[in-house]
Amino acid sequence: MRWSKSTALTLSLPWLVTFGLFWAFPVIYSLVMGFTDYQLLNKSFNWIGFENFRLLLADPAFLSSLKNTFIFVAGTIPSTTIIALILALLVNKSFPGRSLFRSGFFLPSITSMVVVALIFTNLYQRGGYVAMLAQMVGLTPPEFGFLNDRGTALYSIMAMDVWMAAGYYMLIFLAGLKAIPEELYEAADISGAGAIRKFFSITLPLLRPTALFILVINTIKSFQVFVEIFVMTKGSSDTTTAVYFIYNTGLSTQFQFGYASAAAYMLFVIVAIFSILQFVLMRRREALW
Amino acid sequence: MVRNSQGRVVSAIVRYSLLSLLLLVMVLPLLWMFRISFMSAGSAIDLSTVLSANFSLSNYADLFRDKMITWPLFNSAIVGLIVTVGNILFCFMVAYSIARFKMIANKIMFVSVILVLMIPAHIVIIPLYVLMNETGMFDTYWALILPWLVNPIGIFLVKQYIESLPTSVEEAARIDGAGEFRILFRVVMPLCKPALAVLAIQVFFTNWNSFLFPYILTTSDELRTLPVALALYHGHQAIDWQHLMAGSALAVIPVLVLFVIMQRHIVSGITAGAIKQ
Repeated sequence: MRWSKSTALTLSLPWLVTFGLFWAFPVIYSLVMGFTDYQLLNKSFNWIGFENFRLLLADPAFLSSLKNTFIFVAGTIPSTTIIALILALLVNKSFPGRSLFRSGFFLPSITSMVVVALIFTNLYQRGGYVAMLAQMVGLTPPEFGFLNDRGTALYSIMAMDVWMAAGYYMLIFLAGLKAIPEELYEAADISGAGAIRKFFSITLPLLRPTALFILVINTIKSFQVFVEIFVMTKGSSDTTTAVYFIYNTGLSTQFQFGYASAAAYMLFVIVAIFSILQFVLMRRREALW
Repeated sequence: MVRNSQGRVVSAIVRYSLLSLLLLVMVLPLLWMFRISFMSAGSAIDLSTVLSANFSLSNYADLFRDKMITWPLFNSAIVGLIVTVGNILFCFMVAYSIARFKMIANKIMFVSVILVLMIPAHIVIIPLYVLMNETGMFDTYWALILPWLVNPIGIFLVKQYIESLPTSVEEAARIDGAGEFRILFRVVMPLCKPALAVLAIQVFFTNWNSFLFPYILTTSDELRTLPVALALYHGHQAIDWQHLMAGSALAVIPVLVLFVIMQRHIVSGITAGAIKQ
């Protein structure tokens, strides 16, 4: 134990270097860039105060990317959570073939997002599989395919995301269900409670911490939606999201590092506010029990 | 009694029909991908051709002759392997240090791990791009590997596991005169195998499927990983779905195989995070 201090330091070195170089420095540098007019092309780097933030709040492209991000978050999170819960309840009790169904439901969520986005680009195309299904139930699919129509593009991508993520959150719900003591259900049986009563009086309240955990991680993830937009629409048909906007202004054509960094920080603040809000809610609910 | 057993049969039929329908919805897009990948190039893709067309492996044969796919496949495999091994080694070292050496510096370090867990990745896109450019690592294997060799979730996972182990084994080894590093790699590391297996599979999947950072930090064809190559292939050419779906299948098959072999570890890795809440 003589040299344990230096041992500890040596062992921690990989993280200290990674943290400093690839996390702490970029996070701080990004903030600094947000207050400058830094651009790759004309090599300018002047301090301009809050100018970027002021311009962003008046930039229709940024505001519409925020609007789309909010639609995405508000639409996918409740649907994903509810479907995940239904899937979890369906495969919670043991029955023959259960693991087959559970694995099948989970499968989409370990597939690469790029691959999923490519498959759905095919399914959503003009005259494609989904258009055919829509016609079968009497709906008129968009003329140029679901991804080329401003009215359907974003919602089609959202539906794909729900399909992909539901199985992942199902697994987390299953863990939560497992933690509910069996005796509670036995006691409810003795007092003659039906299945619906048991669900609303035992299962749902006891799943609340799990559901809130899912909400928090899904919020952070959903605010950053990017890959599916990049692959499926490149931001056309009114599908530009906040991170796509950051990529587009910062790294795609214009290389406006300062402006894009300011946008990244504004999104960061929004995500942080939502996460803190959810944490506060989680605390309060816990105190009630 | 008779009514009861009839009711049970009916409810079983309803349950299995519902489950089968859901299963179909969940796996159909993946089956669709595999099916198209076996159709001959240039053929029309609609429900009747999908059901009736022949199976052919020619798209896969074409891809393996095409440098646009063989290079990315090689890159994804080699980068995934190096990053996974790096995480097993480094996450374990750092986690052991945090779990066993109780000092102020380690407390601070643990806070830094938690901080990074909460920082959304989009904030580092631009500065990382600038950093890689300035250091000359842009568009090299370093950019694909170096930032991802150790990750906070992995450290957290292994740290929790080490803290659940009794210290008596390590103390016994110490009394026997074993050095610190010998204890670390010969005594503690083998005990951590379950946690490290979970870590390895998570890191490999994340890295294998990753798109954003490999895309923005490289630019030459020789350094593209498979997801990046697929996304760009889709963007640049008139869409050749048969080859594109065969390439996509190549990206999915390793994940499927690992999933079947290591299902238990994958599931416990995901639920471990949930229980910690």
